[in-house]
Amino acid sequence: MSRIGVFICHCGTNIGGVVNVPQVVEAAKRMPLVAYADENKYTCSEVGQASIRDAIKEQRLDRVVIASCSPRMHENTFRRTVATAGLNPYLLEMANLREHCSWVHSDSKDATAKAIDLVRMAVAKVARHESLFPKQVGLTKRALVIGGGITGIQAALDIASAGHEVVLVEKEPSIGGRMAQLDKTFPTLDCSACILTPKMVDVSQHPNITLLTYSEVKEVRGFVGNFEVDILKKAKMVDYVKCTGCGNCWQACPERIPSEFDLGLGRRSVIYIPFAQAVPNKPVIDIANCRYERYLKWKETEEGPEPPQCRICEGVCPTEAIDRSQRDEIVTEKFGAIVVATGFKTFDYSVYGEYGGGRYPDVISSLQLERLMSAAGPTEGEVLRPSDGVHPKNVVFIQCVGSRDDKVGRPYCSKVCCMYTAKHAVMLKEHDPEVQCYVFYIDVRAGGKDFEEFARRAQDETGAVYLRGRVSQIYQEGKKLKVLGEDSLMGRLVEIDADLVVLATGMEPSDNADVIAQTLNISYNTYNFLIEAHPKLRPVETQTDGIFVAGTCVGPRDIPDCVAHGGAAAAKAVVLLSQDSLTTDPLTSFVDPMKCVGCFACKEVCPFNAIEEQITRDGRTISSVNESLCKGCGLCVVACRPGAINLRGFTNQQLLSEVLTLVGR
Amino acid sequence: MGADFTQQIRDKAKELLEKGTVECVIGYETGSDGVSARPAFIHDPAEVDRLVFDNTCSHNLVKYLLNKKGKPTAVVVKGCDSRAVNLLLSEKQIERNQAFIIGVVCPSVVEWGWNKRSEQIQKRCDWCRQHTPVVYDFLVGEPVTEEPPPDFADVAEMEAKTTEERAAFWREQAERCLRCYACRQACPGCYCIDCFVEELDPEWVGIRIAPQENLMWNTIRAFHLGGRCISCNECERVCPVNIPLSLLNRKLEQEVLSLFDYRAGMSDDTIAPLITFRKDDKLGIGE
Amino acid sequence: MSADNEPLIIGFLCNWCSYAGADMAGTSRQAYPANIRIMRVPCSGRVDPLLIVKCFEEGADAVLVAGCHPGDCHYSEGNYYSRRRFALLRELLDFMGIEKERFRIEWVSASEGKRFAKIVSDFTEDATKLGSRKVS
Repeated sequence: MSRIGVFICHCGTNIGGVVNVPQVVEAAKRMPLVAYADENKYTCSEVGQASIRDAIKEQRLDRVVIASCSPRMHENTFRRTVATAGLNPYLLEMANLREHCSWVHSDSKDATAKAIDLVRMAVAKVARHESLFPKQVGLTKRALVIGGGITGIQAALDIASAGHEVVLVEKEPSIGGRMAQLDKTFPTLDCSACILTPKMVDVSQHPNITLLTYSEVKEVRGFVGNFEVDILKKAKMVDYVKCTGCGNCWQACPERIPSEFDLGLGRRSVIYIPFAQAVPNKPVIDIANCRYERYLKWKETEEGPEPPQCRICEGVCPTEAIDRSQRDEIVTEKFGAIVVATGFKTFDYSVYGEYGGGRYPDVISSLQLERLMSAAGPTEGEVLRPSDGVHPKNVVFIQCVGSRDDKVGRPYCSKVCCMYTAKHAVMLKEHDPEVQCYVFYIDVRAGGKDFEEFARRAQDETGAVYLRGRVSQIYQEGKKLKVLGEDSLMGRLVEIDADLVVLATGMEPSDNADVIAQTLNISYNTYNFLIEAHPKLRPVETQTDGIFVAGTCVGPRDIPDCVAHGGAAAAKAVVLLSQDSLTTDPLTSFVDPMKCVGCFACKEVCPFNAIEEQITRDGRTISSVNESLCKGCGLCVVACRPGAINLRGFTNQQLLSEVLTLVGR
Repeated sequence: MGADFTQQIRDKAKELLEKGTVECVIGYETGSDGVSARPAFIHDPAEVDRLVFDNTCSHNLVKYLLNKKGKPTAVVVKGCDSRAVNLLLSEKQIERNQAFIIGVVCPSVVEWGWNKRSEQIQKRCDWCRQHTPVVYDFLVGEPVTEEPPPDFADVAEMEAKTTEERAAFWREQAERCLRCYACRQACPGCYCIDCFVEELDPEWVGIRIAPQENLMWNTIRAFHLGGRCISCNECERVCPVNIPLSLLNRKLEQEVLSLFDYRAGMSDDTIAPLITFRKDDKLGIGE
Repeated sequence: MSADNEPLIIGFLCNWCSYAGADMAGTSRQAYPANIRIMRVPCSGRVDPLLIVKCFEEGADAVLVAGCHPGDCHYSEGNYYSRRRFALLRELLDFMGIEKERFRIEWVSASEGKRFAKIVSDFTEDATKLGSRKVS
């Protein structure tokens, strides 16, 4: 039989001034299973807590009700009080006599009657409380970072510097991401490669970082602290132990195909490094386009004309590093924490048929302009028109291409385009003092540190003409592109003969961001941006413990925010990995295997993927709860028709017993 | 219908049992009064001539598939029954490759009669919108392509009363309930090992046979079938005291259709409306 | 407590939003009638229709379920499920003779103390007008 102790608090006059506390004490003494009831002036004070501890010992109490303020205020405090008296901290229930009673009701009689009811409810509930014990679960002190752009690089460096092993997986042959494609960064006009490459080199040299380029995450199993990940390492056809990065092979390769890194404006070889400062600075063979690989494939059937048996790269390699025996390989690794930093790609401007992108060679995207301006780019830093290689004099920029536009399914603002177009206006002027830039904009958004000043510089000092309006059409006329647009501030239509049109294309998540999200079982929105646990207060966590998100895969943002994000995600991962074991909250669900019929309605509703399958002795496949993942929401309990699943701390028995004290019985 | 349907079913059953495709064929046979059908479990191909199909074949035989886990079994289903197959498939209670579905395009079934065949077509056949089984491996009869639109006149009539009148109506119905649970036993959607009504801790429903408890029983059973009931109406047919259970289930069917645009059992991979959601649900709550 | 025509209202409030909202009503001293008895649950999605029907069958005059605003659920999805469940349950209960107006579902955030007080005041007034539940 339970011996429940009930402690009613006066809380000074906060409760005692309205509720007749002695009357509540007397009523409590008569409640079922109550062995002791008393009052305190301030239960949370040292004196108050001591009196509870003493009463537990002297009265041999095995459960405690504290009727005072809101449990949201002091439940943890009183759990500790009760624990120091030797009782399990979960054998406590509170009745809210202050926020829900004395502070909102003025009539003493009504308030006292209600207080007695609230105590009665708490007594009935606590009678059904059981001792609960948090579990300790081990963890793997290794982190996986998916994505080797600036965000992933920062996260990897920070976690590694904290002393934990990191594996950085990048699908391209080199890390660097979008930032490696940029020429300069706003507002400082730093050379992008100059500030990025030292970090890239740090990654390759850090003893705690294992860099897996040309690799992808295929499957993720497990839960926080205990993930198991299958990583696909694509065949590079080059032995990186032997390769010295001398470059003989990629200079000798006879085949040329459009370069992805240069966004189609330049060409690369088939055995290649994507850019000069690539890390690792060793090539891969693009098997799909390799002449010799085509020959090998032809040899299997010998159908059709025989392709050349190229192998020039092997001929010029001084260390015999080309290894055509390599095959794609899947490795399985264990991790405790995962950081997702898969980055962005730009909007496909050909969707706007009226702008002529994809049709007219001199209509390009802002990122393509970066490649032209870059000294390591396809035109060695000369801004030349793709059609005839001439320096453009009239350059028209169109903002919000694939942003702020419901019609193409992109209502959001991509945040960085106003700034990088201002940068482009400044840089084009530096390249050629005679250039005239026009910018068709809707608003100029320059919200960061020094951003507004920089945007003003573009508008006031470079002679760039900012026109507030949209462009309706672009068409080729001779060597020029006719741009028809609107200057809404002046209320007139404008027509510009442009030499080059630059479209400020919006940011969207990288290809297959949704596949990665599904592989990890994390949420993503309609645009495939990953969803953070709370947009304000938990920007780098997800609903899944142990999986963190950072950078532009979460939403449009610029480089300083990405670096901060990467560091934030790293900090969260380090907090996780620095523990020797993880403590689970014991207020979790549990399944009665005798009752479960294996319909898995619980699994359907669980927001945290905490329901797993188990097989009973009599061969039924039924549910079981992963207590490391369960957050104690109780949706499963309501979905379960036979009542096979119950929630500790808010069991069906506890809730019903509270209701029954109020009605009928 | 009639002789031709019966012969087709017998022939198919014989084939399945002789080939060993199934261990048992669950169908209908004529009962001891010589008129009314009852469920039959045929294991021996020599016995297939016991099988019949006529307008007394009211039972939902899909319920028995729940006892045949792991054993390949054939079952004869009408249009309404067939939806129960999809329900049990989506709730992982049966496996598709363990069930051979003999679907019958049933025009109607009549009320229960003993010793004489009733002329009265069951109410549920007036409401039927699924004469052709939604899932089958073998079909008896020609598929019906046109189905009538939803008709909930009986529910509307009840809704037209005042809340007081409805309360009085259901209290009167509840007075008759014996808590025999025949409704639950006949229902293919009721397969819990331990039903909530028999739980003693928490005791949701007391064991007293009284309107208060009886209402709790019937309300919650109907709610547990919300978005799951496939409208075979066997519950009402088997009720020994003629409680109009169809009113409860059809009210929920109407609401599920209008709130969630959903009909249970139409395919085996839909998710029941109460264990899913749409963020843009507009249900008249908190708006 | 249906004596002296004082309705008994049972409230199920979710720990993260509506219970905190009720706490806020307390800290801002926003008064409301004392007819309501509040039970704490982790999420409005934890409130079982069985509990609601039990409340009514055993004599409660009115029931309030309060959760987070859709989209703000601490467990991200709980109130989407409770929204569907209670929309259906309210229809069924009304059909069985328990007036829709006796069963209220509201979304209350942790900062809406004043609004919570108003909801309870209005609800108490409506429940009083409806009169006590006649239980068989």
